Amino acid sequence: MKKTLIIAMTALVSAGMVFAGGQAQSGKAQSGTAPAKTVVVKTMAYGDNSNAEGVNWVRIVKAFEQANPTIKIDYELLYDEAYHQKVSARLAAGDVPDLAYMGGDARWGGPWKEASQQFDHRPYIDANYFDLNLIPPMGPNGEIWEIPLGTSNITTVLFMNEDLVKSLGFSAPKSYDDLVAMVPKAKAAGLDVVSIDGADGWAWGSCLMSAIVARLSGDPHWVSKAVAGQNHFTDKVFVDSLSLIAKMVKDGVLSDKAALVDYGANTSNFSNKKALFMIQGQWVAGSIDPAVADVTKMMAWPKLPGEQAATAGSVAAAIQVGYGLTKKGASDPDVRDAALKFLKYFYSVEETTQRLRDGAIVAPILKNYQVPSDLPLIVKQKVTLAQTAKSTDVIDAFLAGAANDALNAGMQKIATGAATPADVAAEVEKLARSK
Amino acid sequence: MTGRNGKNLPAYIGMVGPALAVFLLIVAYPILYSLILSFTDFNPNKGGVWHFVGVTQYARMLGDPNFWHALSNNMVVVGVSVFGQIPIGFALAYILYRGMVGAKNFFQSMVFLPQFLSTIVIGILWKRMFQADGPVSRLIQIISGNPNAQFDLMLRADTVMYPIGFALIWMYTGFYMVIFLANLQKVDTEMIEAAQIDGASEFQIFIRMIVPVLSGTVLVSAILAIAGSLRGFDLIFSITTQGLQRNNAMVLPIFMYQTAFQDFNNSARFAYGAAISNAIVVISVGLILISNLIGKKVNAGEEY
Repeated sequence: MKKTLIIAMTALVSAGMVFAGGQAQSGKAQSGTAPAKTVVVKTMAYGDNSNAEGVNWVRIVKAFEQANPTIKIDYELLYDEAYHQKVSARLAAGDVPDLAYMGGDARWGGPWKEASQQFDHRPYIDANYFDLNLIPPMGPNGEIWEIPLGTSNITTVLFMNEDLVKSLGFSAPKSYDDLVAMVPKAKAAGLDVVSIDGADGWAWGSCLMSAIVARLSGDPHWVSKAVAGQNHFTDKVFVDSLSLIAKMVKDGVLSDKAALVDYGANTSNFSNKKALFMIQGQWVAGSIDPAVADVTKMMAWPKLPGEQAATAGSVAAAIQVGYGLTKKGASDPDVRDAALKFLKYFYSVEETTQRLRDGAIVAPILKNYQVPSDLPLIVKQKVTLAQTAKSTDVIDAFLAGAANDALNAGMQKIATGAATPADVAAEVEKLARSK
Repeated sequence: MTGRNGKNLPAYIGMVGPALAVFLLIVAYPILYSLILSFTDFNPNKGGVWHFVGVTQYARMLGDPNFWHALSNNMVVVGVSVFGQIPIGFALAYILYRGMVGAKNFFQSMVFLPQFLSTIVIGILWKRMFQADGPVSRLIQIISGNPNAQFDLMLRADTVMYPIGFALIWMYTGFYMVIFLANLQKVDTEMIEAAQIDGASEFQIFIRMIVPVLSGTVLVSAILAIAGSLRGFDLIFSITTQGLQRNNAMVLPIFMYQTAFQDFNNSARFAYGAAISNAIVVISVGLILISNLIGKKVNAGEEY
């Protein structure tokens, strides 16, 4: 018994000394010239150590903290699936960050909306610094839930290797039939006409179907209306839009092996001149081999069969994601002010220009921003496309969960001949209406 | 102060207490939370009040075709593990143990090598192998003489588990081989020599002597394989792409993940996900009990 008591006492005394030592150190720091209180902004950032987003994030935070020693950006940096998973897990656990990478739509804003953590930034956005005309409303009453990295994010770009197309004796297509006419020569040369990362379900929805359904319906907001119940996914126009995917594969415009090509292989195929065209979002422009990027033209889909005049030449575009305060972060004035100070630094002219050069954004949202004249050609084209093409809904900005998954997998099945457009449409409609 | 068995109780509590507290917090609490959650419609992301809904989530799960599809894929994984990885691992261990091949250490290292690699890396590696015009497709093109031939088993629900099963065998066989190799070291070599003198062939020695002697190891390996197969998430998640491939290859943990973390249309998705994860535990325990029962029936035990 005595031994036990001695051991217990020794452990308690040792622990006490450790904690006392720590407190003494803190005490020393607090005495003297009374340094200012450090404000910690808990942040969920997007990127990883191997991509520009992640590398730039780390650099920006380091520089900001050096310039503002009383503010600490305590961040967790995650990318892709890992980010989405962690957002759900942290919110469910009640571990809400003060600042986070988020969006205002179903995909990027869903968890924040569900957790009632969206915060209206309107009263705090400096109208002399940001161009409020370029930040679209995100909430039902015009709320702005985050500060977008750039203007709307075009997801249905057709990238054309102009040199390769010319080498086969063709020019930029004006209609779908022009694409079909390229098939025999392209096949003979061992090339794909249009390459898509069809192994990724989301690419079919975000980068192809979003454009088709708007073009065929003539309604730029057909998808959001369908999600709201005003249209139905079993409507003829939606089934016809799905049928066009099957037609594209049958005509050889899309390769029958498309469902086996993933994101990296798609970009790589285009960069290695294995395809005349590539379907992807605007953000991929920065990943194309520079030599190919110099001869690449970014365009909207040419006229599609059954297309309506009201949406001719349109592209699908979603509100760009960005960083926003959460309700929890905004509830503490010190944290809110520190976070807003950081955001201004993060969205500085220099950093925004870097993002523009990296191909991460379409165009800046800063007031009176002067676009540098020495931007790469492909970046200039991107800005032009955003300024000239009519914008329509992106499917997964409105349709979420099982219904969106069923649509994405359904389009892959249609492309591989494993399902009919009517079957896929019926399943999506059923899941979209089930709660 | 002494305990029931005369030991020093405070010292006992002092030593066991911290570990017990950590166990209760890290293991027991989530299990209990998950169990309670599965009988409610509570969404921790949303907050609010817990409503007891009885077995609603379980009834929904049993009526969901995705559950049965995932369970059937899980059974394939269990089958591949128990009837693929273990026998192959056992046979390879015996071949190495009996010195039937040269460069024993080299082959042993090669078969065990995947265990040193991250599962995600292995998943990405096999994904590359199976992609359009990837190494497997190229091989098919060379053999068939058809330049357009593609390896498309990943695109069909009825064939997707073949390539995945192959990758699973490639990855985990080395693990079981090492277990069997370690246990074979304990077998009395004089017994084998005596059998050889009596004219037994290698196959007879393996089937009639080694297998019965290591039946306990087979049972333990089977339990490890079943438990690992039912909670297996990482390899199948990383070997497939989001969409059709992952839906085709969906196993229960992936079904649970997609339900709880991605299906924002279902406000009770966390409770539904908890029901699925509890089902995984129940199925695992059931299969392990069956394995134990079979082990007892065939009198699995090790005598060296």
